[in-house]
Amino acid sequence: MSKRLLSALEYPNVDNINLSEEQTFRTIVVWLETNKLKSASQQVLNGLKNQTSNDWNTYFDQYKNSLGCPLLKSHLEELHWLLGQAIQLDTAKNKSEYLKHAVDNIKTSSVPNVITENPLDKLDFRGNEFSERINQLANTLKVCRHPDPLITLRAVRKVICTRLAPECVENPRKVILEGTPFPFEDTDLGFDLHDPLLNQAAKVFRILYLHDLRDLQTKANELVVAVQNITANPKTDTKLGQVGR
Amino acid sequence: MVVRQYNEELKYLEKINSYCWRIKKGFQPNMNVEGVFYVNSTLEKLMLEELKNACRPGMVGGFLPGVKQIANVAALPGIVGRSVGLPDIHSGYGFAIGNMAAFDMNDPNSIVSPGGVGFDINCGVRLLRTNLFEKDVYPVKEQLAQSLFDHIPVGVGSKGIIPMNAKDLEEALEMGMDWSLREGYIWAEDKEHCEEYGRMLNADSSKVSTRAKKRGLPQLGTLGAGNHYAEIQVVDEIYDKWAACKMGIEEKGQVCVMIHSGSRGFGHQVATDALVQMEKAMKRDDIQTNDRQLACARINSVEGQDYLKSMAAAANFAWVNRSSMTFLSRQAFAKQFQMAPDDLDMHVIYDVSHNIAKVEEHIVDGKQKTLLVHRKGSTRAFPPHHPLIPVDYQLTGQPVLIGGTMGTCSYVLTGTEQGMLETFGSTCHGAGRALSRAKSRRNIQYTEVLRRLEEMDISIRVASPKLVMEEAPESYKNVTDVVNTCHAAGISKKAIKLRPIAVIKG
Repeated sequence: MSKRLLSALEYPNVDNINLSEEQTFRTIVVWLETNKLKSASQQVLNGLKNQTSNDWNTYFDQYKNSLGCPLLKSHLEELHWLLGQAIQLDTAKNKSEYLKHAVDNIKTSSVPNVITENPLDKLDFRGNEFSERINQLANTLKVCRHPDPLITLRAVRKVICTRLAPECVENPRKVILEGTPFPFEDTDLGFDLHDPLLNQAAKVFRILYLHDLRDLQTKANELVVAVQNITANPKTDTKLGQVGR
Repeated sequence: MVVRQYNEELKYLEKINSYCWRIKKGFQPNMNVEGVFYVNSTLEKLMLEELKNACRPGMVGGFLPGVKQIANVAALPGIVGRSVGLPDIHSGYGFAIGNMAAFDMNDPNSIVSPGGVGFDINCGVRLLRTNLFEKDVYPVKEQLAQSLFDHIPVGVGSKGIIPMNAKDLEEALEMGMDWSLREGYIWAEDKEHCEEYGRMLNADSSKVSTRAKKRGLPQLGTLGAGNHYAEIQVVDEIYDKWAACKMGIEEKGQVCVMIHSGSRGFGHQVATDALVQMEKAMKRDDIQTNDRQLACARINSVEGQDYLKSMAAAANFAWVNRSSMTFLSRQAFAKQFQMAPDDLDMHVIYDVSHNIAKVEEHIVDGKQKTLLVHRKGSTRAFPPHHPLIPVDYQLTGQPVLIGGTMGTCSYVLTGTEQGMLETFGSTCHGAGRALSRAKSRRNIQYTEVLRRLEEMDISIRVASPKLVMEEAPESYKNVTDVVNTCHAAGISKKAIKLRPIAVIKG
């Protein structure tokens, strides 16, 4: 994986290097810093460039700290982390280039874009008025408020999209699954965080996770059924049957 | 076997609590780990009696007593934890039926043994629910029993009514229930509610002998003989309302269909072929066991790998077999009630396998290990939140289906955390024999058995009535004792009790 990242960054001769060699490791670190990351102070950079020095690791530690690298077990992991940073910088730099190829944009590019201006862009999302109105909306829809009105807005949006969609309003029983209540408070969480509040929160996460998992499984089942529509042809032939002695 | 007086033997056995006994090292030679078995006071008597009988002078031949077999398994190379005997344990070929044992995949000496899986590979139980109640079915139960009997061929040498050619079989062996899905015999949700999702991915039909394939081909979609059956059952008791609710069981009296069957002649041939190979491997690798029937090979050897691949193919065969019978049962019900199986809500609650070896992750002495878990006459019972159980059962634990004997009740249990720790997530599988087949034939008249079923108002359709006494409830341990022991010991939890109203048998 690290090699793939290296080749994405156009590091020379990637196929023939051995990442577990200390010398290679140092060379790559220096290369990354000079060509991609460019964040070290002159003093640290000089220290790193002196690859044969005994102090190299001291400078490397300083360098890692300055980048905010977490504690990792091996040079290989550290290298991987550094590569991740470099890739992030690279992609951020070329973001506009990549976005041209994003699926959404490819789709819409063939359709003439009518709306040149989104009136919502002019809203002041941090203003009091916005926040009050969002909270009103949330109250009406019985959605719990969040201190950040934008997050509340996202929750509101979710409710509108799922529960107030035309098909749901017309035929609520079809869309809203009537589950049977389950006393999840009494169920075993499977682990104990030694804090009732945390346990409660963990249980909520469990339920949310199960909800996602159920959704995924349902989609998988739908896919199987779609394939069955093409392949299925169950047959029986009672003439073949034979009851044993 | 070491020959000792019964009293001497007892010194190696220690009762840990009311439901659990320890078998200390030294009970049999070279034990790598200790043994353990779960019994209540009734089953305990049966267990010790068997040992006592074996200690009498001049007792040779037949299988070793169950306790001795547990201890011999504990002496196999690479075993970890304990060799576990479940409450329904009874002597079998090499391993006792109701014995589970786990072997460390990372230990090069660890073995795989066909005797630890059994001859009927992936013998298992499937439970379908319906939205019918006893009052809907009772008036037509004779017709329904007949209809099931007409759809599902039973008995020794029976042949299935689903047309299959050699190519279909090859595909079915590789694909398991995905084959049944592709061909449209089952529903997408059936796969979801099946152990292993109805397909062992390491199956390789090229490792299976032509003889096995020849035996298996005409038998797909047949029930077989022995203790295999299809039963129409009604919910008799609900112990765990919420677990039952997750399974779609709302009330007493609800009608279910239970199918107990395996891989027929196919699995038997795979096991037989493997045993021949294993004996060669044992000689070559110098593997020592206490009992010749414990033929085995190192997991990493060619023989070991070949067996695992062909066993997986046999497991897939069994799942396709049970799936075909699911299809046929749905047809039978649909015809009788003039309703689509969907409208009868005939969903699979779960499908368990109680003769299989599988690679699983477990915690041993605080460390996560990859183990090859042999379950022979033992059912997987994973606890709530285990990643390998279906999403619908994440909060309740895996449903465990315990088939009773002809005319007695069956149970649905759920897996527990304690079972995960004590028995590698395993529990009992059924009633477990108390009398050998031969003994049952001598002791009981078949007419008597059939008369008693009639008295209990159970419709029965049977291919070979003269073999019925082998399967009479008297020949078995009491399934309620077995299940209560598992519940009390905490290795699984009672959820539902079912009683039969119609039985189809080989």
